[in-house]
Amino acid sequence: MSSSSVLPGEIILRDATRSFSIRADQARTFKGLLLGARAEGPPPVPALRRVTLHISPGETVGMVGRNGAGKTSTLRVLAGIVPLQSGEALSGGRMVSLLELGSGFSRDFSGRENIYLQGALYGFTKAQIDERIERIVAFSELDHFIEVPVKTYSAGMFLRLGFSIAAFLDADVLLIDEILAVGDEAFQRKCLRRISEQIAGGTTVVLVSHDARAIERVCGRVVVLDGGRIVFDGPTAEGLLHYHRLMGTEHGGGESVRSTAAREIEVTDVELRDGAGRASTVFRTGAAMQIAVVLRTRSAVARPELALEIRSGNGSRAFSTSTEIQATPDGITRLVFEIPSLALLGGDYDVSLAAGEKGVDAAVDRTVGFSVATEPGAEGIVDLRGAWRVLEPAQVAQ
Amino acid sequence: MLSYRYLFSQLVRRELRQKYKGSALGVLWYLVNPLVLMGAYTLMFGFVLNVQGASRPRPYPIFLMIGIVVWTFFAQSLLSAAPSLIEQGGLVRKARFPREVIPGSAVMVQLITFAAVLVLLTPITVALCGTLTPALFLLPLLVVLLFAFTLGCALIVAVLHAYFRDIAPIIAAALLPWFFITPIFFVASTLAPVERHPFLGTLLDWVNPIAPFMLAIRSVLFYGRAPELGQVLYTVVAAVLVLGVGRAVFSRMEGELAVIV
Repeated sequence: MSSSSVLPGEIILRDATRSFSIRADQARTFKGLLLGARAEGPPPVPALRRVTLHISPGETVGMVGRNGAGKTSTLRVLAGIVPLQSGEALSGGRMVSLLELGSGFSRDFSGRENIYLQGALYGFTKAQIDERIERIVAFSELDHFIEVPVKTYSAGMFLRLGFSIAAFLDADVLLIDEILAVGDEAFQRKCLRRISEQIAGGTTVVLVSHDARAIERVCGRVVVLDGGRIVFDGPTAEGLLHYHRLMGTEHGGGESVRSTAAREIEVTDVELRDGAGRASTVFRTGAAMQIAVVLRTRSAVARPELALEIRSGNGSRAFSTSTEIQATPDGITRLVFEIPSLALLGGDYDVSLAAGEKGVDAAVDRTVGFSVATEPGAEGIVDLRGAWRVLEPAQVAQ
Repeated sequence: MLSYRYLFSQLVRRELRQKYKGSALGVLWYLVNPLVLMGAYTLMFGFVLNVQGASRPRPYPIFLMIGIVVWTFFAQSLLSAAPSLIEQGGLVRKARFPREVIPGSAVMVQLITFAAVLVLLTPITVALCGTLTPALFLLPLLVVLLFAFTLGCALIVAVLHAYFRDIAPIIAAALLPWFFITPIFFVASTLAPVERHPFLGTLLDWVNPIAPFMLAIRSVLFYGRAPELGQVLYTVVAAVLVLGVGRAVFSRMEGELAVIV
């Protein structure tokens, strides 16, 4: 952790390797030592495998990956809390990390007293904390709760306090682990704004999050980790697309919701395809999408109908349609729903299909998930394809 | 390390306040325990067992009290330092400050108590024993040496306990017999078995590493004379050596602390 060879705010990992033992009882007792209990239990889990990463001062890097991909381990190595087994980790300047929200607070002490303790933990002096305390208190919006012992705080209040401390200590490097999710939306937005301010002030920020929108808002670069290795390192938009693809492989393919006995008519397969007809689970706004459906009919149905519905990640319906179909009895029917230009914005969506008799509410046969890569400039569900135009004063007058 | 002085003082203050927060007597409890011990042992050894003659220096309660406060500082330091890294795991997992400040602050809290008791005890002792001599100037030095020795032990105990959770109970168990073989309530040379086998006296006064500290402090406070040169040399060497070893062991083992606590 020498800071002589690195600039303030610079981070270097060279062939960083670290694995963790996942034995429930990590501390050894003499008994365990005598009986050689170290041989027991599952083998160590590699969290970082020869990771090489260079982050220049002032860069903002988002770190994404599945659970257990090594994101938090990387942060802890960067923070100098966990040593490497081999390789090198260097960082320059003063570093403040927002890991393990709520830990490291003294429960019997007030929020204000805890600000001093936390500041001291990162090596700040009393005078340096005195300078910053009013801004920290103000940002936290804790008002009179700042004088109350923190054991009375809610998770959200811990987040407010923890974030305010980290964000206003003016570090050269700020490490933030998956914690913004706790706060309410207004505070989250405020945090992101503050992070942006710090970035503008030249702070290096490393942000671990599953929230693609947060990453997209503040990070210029994305590192995708998988299995302890960097599988992508580059611009945010591309990185998030890569990440979505990585996540998509986990639940890709038609997922059966209902597996009861055969019915007269049912959807047996659904596949999402891109404009070129290749199977995909990740799409871009404005790209072509095809939903290919396979129907099996076992016996004649009076007026067969196929319903399609797209719901966004939070469950609200984005689109639904249905069509009468000409189904051959005891046969297979293939259909494609063609979307020339996908009008959905970044996020996760589900496509559900149900086949049945018209007028009778059919249960969902198949659900397939897909993701739309986030792109800057718009948020929400629907891309309205609008554009701004400045009006001339004369036109306004009319 | 220097930039973490403020953290150190924060931890010490927090510990002092947290310990007796909400209790009526507050920090005074630190004084009550040694006083109760002193009363009990005076009763026990002074009257019930009725230790007589040269092995019962007068005033016996003062003689006892000096031994008890020195012992209490040493024993309480080890007992509070041993689990300290685990208790402060939240801090250890959060930032990369020098980990020594945690057991260090535990010992510091005990030193503050020890110093407070000494400030009360010294004038009483000087008045009752008539020991206002230049030797008294050695007292702060001896306290510093004892602190260094204890800190070294505390660093070892704390880091070992983080890895092997048997250490704290072992320490607690060992301190009990250790108390009875330490010259707290007796003068080794006047004990009957020691008179028959003088090497026992050497064992009690020199092999037990805490004994020379206790004898030297008692020498300046209770008897009003400078400690033997041998005792002074012993304490200096023991303090430097143990602190050095303690720091070495600690820095060798501290790396994995954030993973194991």
